[in-house]
Amino acid sequence: MKNDIMLQITNLHASVGDKEILKGIDLTVHKGEIHAVMGPNGAGKSTLSAILTGKPEYTVTSGSIDFMGKDLMAMKPEERSWAGIFMSFQYPIEIPGVSITNFMKTAINARRTSAGLEPMNAADFLKLMREKMAFVQMKSEFSKREVNVGFSGGEKKRNEIFQMAMLDPTLSILDETDSGLDVDALKIVAKGVNALSSPEKSAIIITHYQKLLEYIVPDFVHILKDGKIVKTAGKELVDVIEAEGFDKF
Amino acid sequence: MNDNKISKPIVGHGNYVETPVENGPKTLIVHSWENFSRLYVPEPSPTCELPLDHLIVEDNANVDICIILLPGTSLRIPLVVDLVGKGSNVSLSGVYLSAGTDRVVIDIDLKHRVPDCLSNQVFNGIVSGNAVVDFAGKIIVAPDAQKTDAYQVNHNILLSDSARVNAKPQLEIYADDVKCSHGASIGQLDEDAQFYMRSRGIPLDEAKVLQMLSFISPVLGHIKDVSKRTYVADSLETAIRKML
Repeated sequence: MKNDIMLQITNLHASVGDKEILKGIDLTVHKGEIHAVMGPNGAGKSTLSAILTGKPEYTVTSGSIDFMGKDLMAMKPEERSWAGIFMSFQYPIEIPGVSITNFMKTAINARRTSAGLEPMNAADFLKLMREKMAFVQMKSEFSKREVNVGFSGGEKKRNEIFQMAMLDPTLSILDETDSGLDVDALKIVAKGVNALSSPEKSAIIITHYQKLLEYIVPDFVHILKDGKIVKTAGKELVDVIEAEGFDKF
Repeated sequence: MNDNKISKPIVGHGNYVETPVENGPKTLIVHSWENFSRLYVPEPSPTCELPLDHLIVEDNANVDICIILLPGTSLRIPLVVDLVGKGSNVSLSGVYLSAGTDRVVIDIDLKHRVPDCLSNQVFNGIVSGNAVVDFAGKIIVAPDAQKTDAYQVNHNILLSDSARVNAKPQLEIYADDVKCSHGASIGQLDEDAQFYMRSRGIPLDEAKVLQMLSFISPVLGHIKDVSKRTYVADSLETAIRKML
C-alpha cells in the first residue's frame, strides 16, 4: 500500500443545528484512489461532502480532517477549492444573471490570483472552455447561459462535470451525481471522472445506487450508516449491496 | 463620450419641456410620435432632485427614462405619468444603491387614461447601512383604457439589518380587457449561491459582487446607448464594491 496520504479523516463528529449526523468517521484516501461511499438515505453521506467542502451551516464537533498535510477545517470553502478540492453538487445551485463564462472566468482567475499568477488571457480561457465543453458534450451556447438557470437535471450534472474538468481538482467529490441521470448522461459523468484520474488524483463517489460504479470502478467501497462507516471492502462489496441491500450491515 | 453629460441630471430641451417653474411642477409633454429618452445619474448629494415630476405622453410617443442613484444620494422622486394618447409606450427603469444614511423616496403614479398603451417599470435596489428607501408605484388603468399592457417590478436586496425598504406596489384597474402585473420583493443575497461559488474558488466578497451585478443587470438592458451603458455599469460596480 502507498504511504502518500491525500485525505485523512479522524473520528469526525458533525452536526446540523442540535442534531448529530456524523458519529465518528475514519477515512483515509491515498493519492490515486477512488473511494465509493454508499449507504441508505439519511446515513450522513451528504453531510460528509458538505463538511469536506466547508458548507457554513454544518458544524464539526470533534475530530480532524487533514488534506495534503493541512488542517482542512481551518480553510474557507474558496481556499479548499484553491487547494484542489472539488465537489459536484447533488443539487446544483442556480445563479440568475451570471453566465457560465463569467462564472468560470471568475473562478479560474481567483485561483490564479491566490497562487500569485496573472489572470488567464482571454484566448487561452476560451480555448479551455471550448475544449472542456466538448468533452462533456455541452453545446457551446451553454457558455452564455445563466449558471444552472432553466437547466434540466441532466444538464445541471453535466455542468458540474464541466466545471470539474475546468478546475482540474486533486480530490473530486461526487455527491449523488448519478441520481436522476439516464445512462447516456451517466456515461458522460463517468468519462469525466475517469479522464481526470491519475496517480496524483483521487475521487470520493457518494451514491446510493450501484449504476455509476459500473462505469467508475472504485478501489474501496465504504458503507455509511447512521453516521458511521460500518463496512469497508473492495469493489466486490458493490455486488453484495446490489443483491442484499444495506439492511444486513 | 462626455462623462459630465450623464453624471449630472439632464434636462430635456427644445419643445419637449415646458419651462420649469421654480418650486412648481416640472412638466414635460412628449408630443405625438416623438421619442423622449433620458438617463439620469445625479451627482451623489443629500439634496438632489430630478428636473421633471410630470410627464404627459401623447399618442404614439415613446418615453424611456432610466434613473441611476449611487450611494450618497438622497432625494425624492415624485413622478406622475399621464398617458393621454393611444399607442404610446413608456419605460421607466432604475437602480438605487443606497448606503449610510441615504433617504430615497420614489413615488410613481402612472395613469393609463386611453387605450392601447404599454408601460413597463423596472426598479431594482440594493440598500445597506441605515439607508431607508420608499418605493411606491401606482398604476391606474382608467375605464376607457382597454388593451392596456402595464408591468411593474421592484426588487430589493438588504445588506444590513438596519437598512429599510418600504415597497408599495398598487394596481387600480377600471377596464376589463387589460394585461397588468406587478411584483415586489425584499430579500437578501442567496447564501446557497454564495457557497456554490466559493466551492469553485470564488472568494465570498467576489461572489457577492457577482450576485449584486446580476441583480441590477435587468435595468442596464434599458440603456440602449452602449457607451452610456458601459459608463453606468462601471460606476455601479465601483459603488457596489464599496458597499461590501
